[in-house]
Amino acid sequence: MLKRPSITRGVPRAVNVYTPILVLGLLAFGFAAFSVILATFTGPKRYNRAKVDAYECGIEATPQPMGGGRFPVKYYLTAMMFIIFDIELVFLYPWAVAADQLEVFGLVAIVLFLVNLAVPYIYEWRRGGLEWD
Amino acid sequence: MSQFGLFGTDPWWLVIVKVLGIFVMLVLLTLFTIWWERRVVSRMQNRIGPNRVGPQGLLQSLMDGVKLALKEEILPKAAHRAVYWIAPVISATAAFLAFAVIPFGPTVSIFGVETPLQLTDFPVSVLYVLAIASIGVYGLVLAGWSSGSTYPLLGGLRSTAQVISYEIAMGLSFVAVFLYAGSMSTSQIVLAQEPIWFAVILLPSFLIYVTAMVGETNRAPFDLPEAEGELVGGFHTEYSSLKFALFFLAEYINMVTVSALATTLFLGGYLAPWPISLWESANTGWWPMVWWLLKVQIFIFVFIWLRGTLPRLRYDQFMKFGWKVLIPVALIWTIIVAAVRILRDQVALTNTELLIAGVVLILILLAGAWVLQGRAERREQQRDADRAARAERQLDLVPGAHPVPPMPSQTFEYTPRRSALLTTQATMKEAEDA
Amino acid sequence: MTEAVSDFNLGETIVFWVCGGLAVLGALGMIISRKAVHSALFIALTMINLAILYVANAAPFLGMVQVIVYTGAVMMLFLFVLMVVGVDSSDSLVETIKGQRFAGLLLGIGLGLLLTVGIGSALTTSGDIGLTAANDAAGGNVQGLAQLMFDDYVVAFQATAALLITAAVGAMVLAHRERWTPRKSQPELSEERFRDGGHPGNRPSPGVYARHNAVDTPALLPDGSTSLDSVPGPLRARDDVRDVDPADVDEIRELTKGVDS
Repeated sequence: MLKRPSITRGVPRAVNVYTPILVLGLLAFGFAAFSVILATFTGPKRYNRAKVDAYECGIEATPQPMGGGRFPVKYYLTAMMFIIFDIELVFLYPWAVAADQLEVFGLVAIVLFLVNLAVPYIYEWRRGGLEWD
Repeated sequence: MSQFGLFGTDPWWLVIVKVLGIFVMLVLLTLFTIWWERRVVSRMQNRIGPNRVGPQGLLQSLMDGVKLALKEEILPKAAHRAVYWIAPVISATAAFLAFAVIPFGPTVSIFGVETPLQLTDFPVSVLYVLAIASIGVYGLVLAGWSSGSTYPLLGGLRSTAQVISYEIAMGLSFVAVFLYAGSMSTSQIVLAQEPIWFAVILLPSFLIYVTAMVGETNRAPFDLPEAEGELVGGFHTEYSSLKFALFFLAEYINMVTVSALATTLFLGGYLAPWPISLWESANTGWWPMVWWLLKVQIFIFVFIWLRGTLPRLRYDQFMKFGWKVLIPVALIWTIIVAAVRILRDQVALTNTELLIAGVVLILILLAGAWVLQGRAERREQQRDADRAARAERQLDLVPGAHPVPPMPSQTFEYTPRRSALLTTQATMKEAEDA
Repeated sequence: MTEAVSDFNLGETIVFWVCGGLAVLGALGMIISRKAVHSALFIALTMINLAILYVANAAPFLGMVQVIVYTGAVMMLFLFVLMVVGVDSSDSLVETIKGQRFAGLLLGIGLGLLLTVGIGSALTTSGDIGLTAANDAAGGNVQGLAQLMFDDYVVAFQATAALLITAAVGAMVLAHRERWTPRKSQPELSEERFRDGGHPGNRPSPGVYARHNAVDTPALLPDGSTSLDSVPGPLRARDDVRDVDPADVDEIRELTKGVDS
C-alpha cells in the first residue's frame, strides 16, 4: 500500500493515505491558532476588575472551595461504565467486519463476551448507579 | 489493498486543493447553517429572523464573526492560561479533522487526474471519526476546567458525561452497518448500499444513531451542557471574542459531520435516491455531490426542527434515556442482527425456522419481563402504601388538597414542630422590634 | 520486515522522530508537572503520538483503538477523578508508603528487563512472514485480528474480558453511594416546603432602585429600610450582602418626598 513511486508523470505524489489528514490538520490547527492570536490584536482592551472575575450573575465570584469542590461520584461511575462499553465496542468492530469468516463459533464467542460485559451493567442498574437525581 | 487503489495517490497540488475545498466548504456550511437555523426557528416561532445583512440576511453570521473578532478578549483572573488558550484550538481542529474521511462523491476527473471526491480513506476510517470525536471532547472538558469558574466547570463535566454516554449507543449502531458492509471504510460502506440503503434494512440502528447524534452534538433537546437557566453558557461561559467563535464553529461543524456520517452510513452517502437513481448518469460525475449535500441538509433541518419543537430534557431523564433505553436497545438489536445473519448464512436455517426461533425467544423474554414487572409493581405498591401512611401522620392543612399555606381564617392542628417554629418567629420579631 | 529495510522511507523516519520525540516529551512532562490535570494532558499527548506511530507502522486499527479507548475513555476517567477529588489540590509531597522509592525503582528495572527480554526474544526467535502476507491470508488487517481474537486465542480473550469485568465491578463497589431512603417525588418536596410555613411566593427582588443591579444588594422597602429577604439565601449564608450606601437611601427619600406611598 505504501510502496508507490514518489514521482509519477513528473508530479510529486502524496506518500500514503494518511498524509492528506496531516495537511488538513495543519491547516485547521493553523486557522484555529491564528484566530486565537488574532483576537488579542483586533479587540479593544479596556480593563475592568469585574470583567476578569469569574462570571456569576453580577455578584462577587463565589470563592472556589478548597480542593476545587466536590462532584457527584456518579460522574466517575459513568466514566467507568463508558470504559467498559468502549472496550466492548472496540472488540465488536473487528468481529463485525470478519463475522462471515468467523462463522457460528465467532458468534458464540462474541455473545459470550457481551454477556460477560453485561455483568457490570446489570449490577450498576440494580444498584441504582444509572439513576441521576 | 487494491480497493484503496486511488486513495493516497493524489498529486500534492490535488491534496492541497481538496484540503482547501473541505476547509472552505465547512466554514461556508457553518455560516449558512447558523443563518438557516435562525431563519427556520424564527418561522417556527412566528418571527422573521435575521433579514438585514445581505440578501435575506445571508451575511448575518459572517458579520457576527467579524463582530466577535473586534470584541475584547477577556482572560479571567482565575483561568489556567495555557490550557484556557489551547482548549478552543483543540475543539476547532478536531472538528475540521473529522471530515477527512467523508465521501462526497465517486471518482471524478479534476484537471485530468482521476480522483475520488473524498480527501482520504483507509480500512478503519469510521473509527478514525470516532477517535477524532474523542479528542474533540477534550476541548470541552479543558475549557470548563481551565476557566477557573463554577459554571463552566459544571458545564464541561456535564458535556463530557453526556457525550460519552451517547457515544456508546452511537458506536453500537455502527456494528450492524459494519456487519452488512464487511468493512469499516467509508467509501466501501457507501458502495455496499448500492441496491438498498442501510437505513431501510437496519432501521433501528439508523434511529438509534440519529438519536445519539443529537445527544453527541449537545443539541436541543439534549442541550443540557448549556442550559441557560442553570449553567449560564456551560463550558464556554468565560470565553469571549474569537475563542468563543471557535467553539461555536466547532459545534456547527460537528453538526455537519454527524449528519454527513449519518448520510454515509445509512442513507447511501452520495448515491442518488430512488426516483433519481433511475436516471442513468445520476451516480456519475459531480452529480452525486448534490445528492450528498441534499441528504446532509435534511439532517441539519431535522436538528433545527427538533430545536424548534422539543423542550430540553431534565438531566436525570436524559441520562436515564441514554443508559437505560438507548444502550440496551442498541445492544439487543445488534445481537439479533448478528444472530439472524450468521445463522441464516452459515447454518443455512430457513427463514421459517428463524421466525419460529424468534417467536420462542420473544415469548421467553415476555414471560421474564412479566415476572419482573409483577415484582416491581408489588414493590411500588408497598412504597405507595408506606408513603400514604406517612402522609397520614403528618400535618394536613386542607385535607386531601395540594398543600398550600393556610388562609388567615383557617386554623389547623397544633404540632410540636409548628410550635417550635412559632416560638422562633416570635423571638425573631421581638429582636427586630428591639 | 525485509522489504521495509531495503525501502528506506523518509516520511516514516520523520514521523518516527517527531512523534517519538513528542511521546517522550509527554512522558517527561507527565512526571515533571506539578498540577495533576497537566500531567493528565501530557499522558494524552503521549498516547496520541503513540497512536500515530502505530498507524505509521501499518497498524491503523490499533492506532484508532489506542485513541478511542485510552485517550477517549481512560484519560477521561482520570480527568473526572481529578475533578471529583479537586482540580486544584496539588499533591502532598510527604511519602506515605514506606520505601516506595526503592520499590518503584525495583519495579521499573523489572519492567525494563521484561520488555527488553520479551521484545528481544520476539525479534530473534519468531520468523517473520511479512505484513502483506499476514494480512492477505486473513483478507485484511482487521479481519486478521478478528481471526486471532475470536478463533485462535478465544479462551485467553474471554479470560481477559472476565478479568476486566472483575476489576471494573470492584471499582464500582468502592465508588458506590448507597441510597437509604427512596427518592422524594416532586409533590413530596413541595409538601415538605410548605409544611413548616415556607414562603409561598417570590421574595422581593434585590437591588430594585436601579443603582446596582446585582443580587447581593438588598431591596429598599418603602420606609427606606432594607429587606434581607430579597438577597438569595446562599449569599446571606456566606455573609456576602452588600451594604446599601446611606447616600442612596437619602437620595431616594429626597426623590420620593411628597409622593404618596
